[in-house]
Amino acid sequence: MTDDCRSPDEDSGLANPARRRVLAGFLTAYTASLVPWALAQPVARPEHGAFMALSAILVGRRSLDSGLAARLYDALTTTYPHFAADAKALLAQVNQQHIDPAQLQQVLDASHSPLAPLPRRIMRAWCLGLVGEGEATHCIAYENALDAVMVAEVLKPPTYAYGQYGSWANPPVAKGANES
Amino acid sequence: MSAPTSAEVVVIGSGICGSLAAWKLATRGVPVLILEAGPRIDRGRIVAAFRNSPRKSDWMSPYPFSPWAPQPQYEPKSNGYLVQAGPYPYPAEYIRVVGGTTWHWAALAWRLLPNDLRIESLYGVGVDWPMTYGELDPWYQEAEEILGVAGAPDTGSPRKQPFPMQPVADPWAMLRIRERLAPVYPVVSNTVARNSRSYGGRPACVGNNSCQPICPVNAQYLGINAVEAAEAAGATVVPNAVVYRIEHDGSGSIVAVHYYDPGRISHRITGRQFILAANGIESPKLLLLSASGKFPKGLANSSGMVGRNLMDHPSSSLTFYADEALWLGRGPQSPNSINTLRDGAFRSRHAAYRLDFTNISQVLSVTQALIMEGVYGTELERQLRWRAAHQMSVKTLLEVLPDPANRVTLSSEKDALGIPKPQAHYSIDDYTRRGADAASADFAKIAQLLGGSGLRYSPRGQFANNQHITGTLAMGDDPGRFVTDRFGRAHDHENLFMCGTGVMPTSATMNSTLTAVALALRTADHMLPLPSAAMSAATAAARE
Repeated sequence: MTDDCRSPDEDSGLANPARRRVLAGFLTAYTASLVPWALAQPVARPEHGAFMALSAILVGRRSLDSGLAARLYDALTTTYPHFAADAKALLAQVNQQHIDPAQLQQVLDASHSPLAPLPRRIMRAWCLGLVGEGEATHCIAYENALDAVMVAEVLKPPTYAYGQYGSWANPPVAKGANES
Repeated sequence: MSAPTSAEVVVIGSGICGSLAAWKLATRGVPVLILEAGPRIDRGRIVAAFRNSPRKSDWMSPYPFSPWAPQPQYEPKSNGYLVQAGPYPYPAEYIRVVGGTTWHWAALAWRLLPNDLRIESLYGVGVDWPMTYGELDPWYQEAEEILGVAGAPDTGSPRKQPFPMQPVADPWAMLRIRERLAPVYPVVSNTVARNSRSYGGRPACVGNNSCQPICPVNAQYLGINAVEAAEAAGATVVPNAVVYRIEHDGSGSIVAVHYYDPGRISHRITGRQFILAANGIESPKLLLLSASGKFPKGLANSSGMVGRNLMDHPSSSLTFYADEALWLGRGPQSPNSINTLRDGAFRSRHAAYRLDFTNISQVLSVTQALIMEGVYGTELERQLRWRAAHQMSVKTLLEVLPDPANRVTLSSEKDALGIPKPQAHYSIDDYTRRGADAASADFAKIAQLLGGSGLRYSPRGQFANNQHITGTLAMGDDPGRFVTDRFGRAHDHENLFMCGTGVMPTSATMNSTLTAVALALRTADHMLPLPSAAMSAATAAARE
């Protein structure tokens, strides 16, 4: 892993004593059960709470980069004026209906919910670093977008050098057993 | 400093072909002026633009768009510059900047096969080239030594001298694919203008996996390297010079070209000899634009063939999950191929093809798919990693036969400077479609040998384009059938030469740049032969 591609675990702000508010305060018993590892995740600003809670549920990560979270939140709320309210409404729906994250999109699509676009917007922001539609799409993150972070011990984001000449001829060394 | 107004040789277009022809002439003391429609760009800024781009699978996105020198772009929506007349889309891409389109090529620097130049004689299809493979061999070798080509000995294209470099190390994924397919298909290392060691003052590849749209470290040869070499040899480059007319005298000789600067101020440049090297679409466009009373169909067009016989390499593809983790994305993007289907008696019935394995990281595409599918929660990371590790694809590069109905014409639409836009008329015939059908059986076999699951074939009859624009300035001995002679000289104008992929009379199955470069170097030698070079070429041809 290079300095150019740090994982959110390394940049989560967990060590920052100024960030006292944690994600647990925004979750009910049900949603807390979905992401028990994330309960101590710091939340930089109170208005981020629903967004961070939904983010933790959707991306399934143990921690989220709080600096990137702030930038994504700003971009999402700028691009979609109702984003903050929609995020609160969706979190409330997940809490009340105990919706499994694996079924969330299908539930929203099937009910033609006006909140149906929201999970994909959040996922696209975290996983691809992109916010916006069509020509108005903006790239907020690249090296630290989660798609890069999730494979960072095996792959470098394109344009970053893999290593010395020929090093790619060696077998990849991936963590975990689910890759083989 | 004011721009020059004349030169011994005026080159229109600063891509790899025009710039290397200019370089060769400049090294022999010839004053050369290169006119480029677009601006100079900076490699570092392109890298940064890619990282900041919201469209990372759109390899045009990091390149600047200049209103005075528009280039076709299709994402997030078409800019309408290359007008589509149908019936089949021809969404060609090219970059109008100093250095040209090889800024974002894959650096595949293949030679053709000897039989590729004789398909009319051998298979009764297409046309024969006005030269043999053996005649072209010395310029292939020269091109490979200039570009710094790394290659393996088993590609199928014969050669008399060794490659300048050993083949680039295969990614581990490709080593696995080669081993798994070995009983049926030989998988060879691609011949590439990518350094497997320090060469030409440029470093060895370090596996950035962004060969397209930009090599950040200058490990693959680009047109800008040719531009810099030409300038070092004394050539002058004028950027932002949009040539819109070529002027002739009463005898038909070319005497000047006219260009607009971005403010639409017109400038006239005189010269003794002219090289048109503005690519397979812009070059015929300029010839058609230069119609006159003496040449009402456009310059170099007494045959009526300027812009016709437009060809490329359509691709069909199969994407699937291999039964082992391959992790594409480590090393260069386009490392390996199956070359055994490039030639055979079947070419009388259907198109030949190369089968190309990508090593482009699959992370972006699988992440997009997972978001579309609504895969959230802890399952997301598990599936993202599994798919990124296992997903692979193989595609064809299919031969297209010359067909005069496939052509570039002038549109009634105008660009920002008031210059007519190019218009593409294109179709894919049954010969090529039968080739794609034949390749489907290969796709299935490859997937079977790799334990494939989740097979996704490109829809039958739908093809991706590869930006290998050929045929529109085709060379041949018959002035009634071809635009240029065997040396790239216009049949109709004794001092107008053409360089680029457009002069290729057939497309064959291999990426066209190396062949176009070899032909451009040969054209420059013909314009100003050195006794020794002419001697060695004649000797080499005589040995065939």
